[in-house]
Amino acid sequence: MSDKKNKKVRIAFFDFADCEGCQLQLTYLNEQLVGLLDHVEIVNFREVISEKSDNYDIAIVEGSITRKHDEERVKEIRKNAKIVIAYGACACIGGVNGLRKKFTQQEAKDIVYKGREFPLEAGEPRPVHDVVKVDYYIHGCPTNNEETIKALKSILIGKGYQPPTYPVCVECKLKENVCLFEKRQVCMGPVTRAGCGAWCPSYGNICYGCRGLLDNPATQGEMDILKKHGYTLEELTQKFETYNLCRMMGEQNEPKKS
Amino acid sequence: MRYVSLQKNKLSQFVKSLQKKYKVVAPVKKENLFVFAEVEDPEEISIDYIPTILPPKKYFLPQHEKLGTFVKDSVSMAETNIDVEPTVLFGAHTCDIEGIECMDIVFHDSPLDPYFGKRKKSVIIIGYECMKPCDEYATCVTMDTLNPRAGYDIMITDIGDKYILHLNSPEGIEIGKNALFGKVTNERDMKNKLLKLREDKLKNFKVLLDAEYKELNKIFKGSYNSETWKDVGRKCVSCGNCTAVCPTCYCFDIYDDVKLDMSGGERRRVWDSCQLDEFATVAGGENFRKERSSRQRHRYYRKFDYSVIKYNKFFCVGCGRCTRTCMADISLIETVNSLTKEQKNAK
Repeated sequence: MSDKKNKKVRIAFFDFADCEGCQLQLTYLNEQLVGLLDHVEIVNFREVISEKSDNYDIAIVEGSITRKHDEERVKEIRKNAKIVIAYGACACIGGVNGLRKKFTQQEAKDIVYKGREFPLEAGEPRPVHDVVKVDYYIHGCPTNNEETIKALKSILIGKGYQPPTYPVCVECKLKENVCLFEKRQVCMGPVTRAGCGAWCPSYGNICYGCRGLLDNPATQGEMDILKKHGYTLEELTQKFETYNLCRMMGEQNEPKKS
Repeated sequence: MRYVSLQKNKLSQFVKSLQKKYKVVAPVKKENLFVFAEVEDPEEISIDYIPTILPPKKYFLPQHEKLGTFVKDSVSMAETNIDVEPTVLFGAHTCDIEGIECMDIVFHDSPLDPYFGKRKKSVIIIGYECMKPCDEYATCVTMDTLNPRAGYDIMITDIGDKYILHLNSPEGIEIGKNALFGKVTNERDMKNKLLKLREDKLKNFKVLLDAEYKELNKIFKGSYNSETWKDVGRKCVSCGNCTAVCPTCYCFDIYDDVKLDMSGGERRRVWDSCQLDEFATVAGGENFRKERSSRQRHRYYRKFDYSVIKYNKFFCVGCGRCTRTCMADISLIETVNSLTKEQKNAK
């Protein structure tokens, strides 16, 4: 792509069931975003510009896919785009939206809209790759700009981007953080995909697992560690579920490994 | 002049004098643990410390390191210089100094690693001898790293009423000329006094490994198919903590970081770990160490057997960090003792 000298790569952003927080992250790129614009043209970006176009090369899809209408829309996006990037936890793994799967649709409606009219259509939350083929993943809740830039550069030069397959602990230890287990806190770091630079633990917070379970997590090992620290199976499951319920309840397709 | 003395209340003044010429890095407290970090005020230094989270290898092989820059359409590296500030590594324990010695052998082996070499030349090592054990994880007695031997410019020993500094290099002797120091008139007496001190301090240290130094390699020679590796593998979560904190683990990965304008970029390296899923994966997807048990076994063999074959040296310095850091409670002492027991029972 990069050798087509006069033609900029056209990028479009789309959002589905999500908070748009990951798109908002991109606006913090400031000057870097300007640098990126030497190579790309952004044609759809609701957070920043009002113009719209159906002519694009890369579609960056944020949010999980829920309703029938969204399914059709994302299929249309897939048709238009050469490359589809799932962007953020909701798109990559279903994210917190997956928690809806703990209830039937009626139960969920009753809890959220107790006694009120519910005129909206709802559906099953799914990661993007459950509906259309995804080429690349940029994980996180929210996404980390450093990784986003790294991924976009790699994709633009034609190398593609493969997020780390190792856990957050690797990046955390390189920063010489005191391990949260050392402080009797329960951290999802050992089973969560790295790439964020151990963002939360570096600021004293636990890892919530927003980047999704590893492809090959040592689930039993992690359970043993958590049990050793006095957590019940219920509490442990809750920790796993916050971001990973879609995967835990079985996605239709395994995420594609590029 | 190989020995000088220093009054105990003058340690901070000594550090201050070093700071005029060098960046000083030393053990400082981080929450309930310790790390090596640059000190502004010598009072920040915690000289009585248990091994730091990361060993001082980070000053010789930083976690992330720029190797050079490149420009588009050129095959050679544009620039590979690195700037290293003259640094004093202050208060290193003998186990960590031995770790640096191991790294030194590896990186000076052909092909020489110029980045490591340059950093090594820029760092003055001032050790601080352990007179009492740090905790229940260190195996320095068996690994023979408890006493100062080599690899330092100066070694500070607390002999009770004062510190004795052993000046072990031209740089060390130069630093020893400082007016803060007292003369040691009879060097032979001092040497004997230190030998006696080291004999005496041994009674403070427990021997935690069941095997002796000279038996260790033989035990590993017979343990490749031991059941112990399966037990270790079941616990392991492949977090890579054990290798990151190991003073002699030196594996790194190299990657290119392209600039946003695509005109060139930087070639960089970052610490890697044999404990990670992809470490031994090759083109085509074959993974030579797919199981956690085989990866853990590999780590141990890199410390107790492969390094003996290649460099005639154990690459475990007995600091205990791998055990201390492991949230899954994989213990080097338990593992090695389990292998020892199996081997002894098999006889």
